Amino acid sequence: MTLKWVLHWQPNAGSTVNSQILSEVSQCVESINGVKEGRWRATLTFYKPHTREQSMAVDFPRDFLGISLPEQPNKYYFIIRGQRIVLEADSSIQTLMEKLQSYKTRVALHFDGFQYQLGDFQLRVGKVVPTHSENLRGIVMEVEYLPISSVEKARQIMEEFLDIWQEAVSKRSLPGHFMHMEPNFAEYGLADHYTSQHTAVQYATVMAQLIATVQAVQSVRN
Amino acid sequence: MECVVQGIIETQHVEALEILLQGLCGVHKERLRIHEICLKSGPNLGVVASEVRLLCDLEQPESTWTVRHIGGAMRGAGAEQISVLVRTMVESKVSKNALRLFYALGYKLDHELLRVGFTFHFQRGAQITVTVSSVNKMLKLHATDEAVPVTPGIQLVEVTAPASAENYSEVVAAVSSFCEYLAPLLHLSKPGISTGVVPTAAAAAASLMSDGGGTPL
Repeated sequence: MTLKWVLHWQPNAGSTVNSQILSEVSQCVESINGVKEGRWRATLTFYKPHTREQSMAVDFPRDFLGISLPEQPNKYYFIIRGQRIVLEADSSIQTLMEKLQSYKTRVALHFDGFQYQLGDFQLRVGKVVPTHSENLRGIVMEVEYLPISSVEKARQIMEEFLDIWQEAVSKRSLPGHFMHMEPNFAEYGLADHYTSQHTAVQYATVMAQLIATVQAVQSVRN
Repeated sequence: MECVVQGIIETQHVEALEILLQGLCGVHKERLRIHEICLKSGPNLGVVASEVRLLCDLEQPESTWTVRHIGGAMRGAGAEQISVLVRTMVESKVSKNALRLFYALGYKLDHELLRVGFTFHFQRGAQITVTVSSVNKMLKLHATDEAVPVTPGIQLVEVTAPASAENYSEVVAAVSSFCEYLAPLLHLSKPGISTGVVPTAAAAAASLMSDGGGTPL
């Protein structure tokens, strides 16, 4: 698996994400000669424990989530971020979890958009929407560097690319910017060689950020 | 879904059974060494209790893990008639962290076993797997090097085949028909219905051992 960074759109304080920003970002990719290739979609599910009484739910993890990734159609990934656990499983694990009936879906989100080729890079820009709604909750971007699989070896070139990208986006004077927050992969037991488990952990980290942003906006409103 | 029958055989007759299976299946046996960890949901998790099994294959150079959930057996008059158990079963290969994940989700260790023996996988009207193993318990938590047989001198034989709602009758027929070949050595029936060892086992084993498995059935 080659290395990728998953970025998320951080709106400026007091502003929110909207489809105009998404459109500008996509145009920006094309303006730096990204060639549109096709669509992509990842699906993330938040689970909640199924307990006889609501009060019992506090004993169980609130941050248990699952994710399916387009590059691994036969796999499914579980993450419990608070305990730094990531698990790769066959897709059948979803059926297994349904049979257990101990955890149910709380909310499911799609990461949905277009993929672009740009030299040795593959970019994906996606909107974050709940599965049965068009309500835009965020924007994510994947930057994949195809020649390298090592997290450390690719760092410099990824940082250089990100500088170019941030500069291109800033020219559009949008109310926000892309952020990359790299999780501590070693805490999850992951090595330097990049895998889809690393991607799953990055998405869990992005979700934590998106939730924190939404909560911050809500607390300002209140 | 899967079809399952089980039986027991005395350890002294296992070699004869292996010769018989080798002749019937036409494939080589695979060694089996599986650490089976059975987890149950903790007291407040789920409206009904749930169980899941983690299987660690210790025979591979790097242990591989599988998670398995065994569901309810098919019920009704039709199910009573057939001699093979048909039940739901879902399994998934998983990476190493499965035990940590399930503990974090609120599952607790119910019991653990070490199964040591061999399996034959072959196609005969269905994809059939025959497993012959001693079932061992660990004296200390997860200490697979210090396991002792639960029933010394007796081994468990399991015949399983994956099935679906569309084809389970054919699979049942294939499993039943295959089991008839094993009848001189052991009797196979639905799990939970125990029949003990077979009186003809000693004679059948002696015959297999002296022939070296050359006698066609």
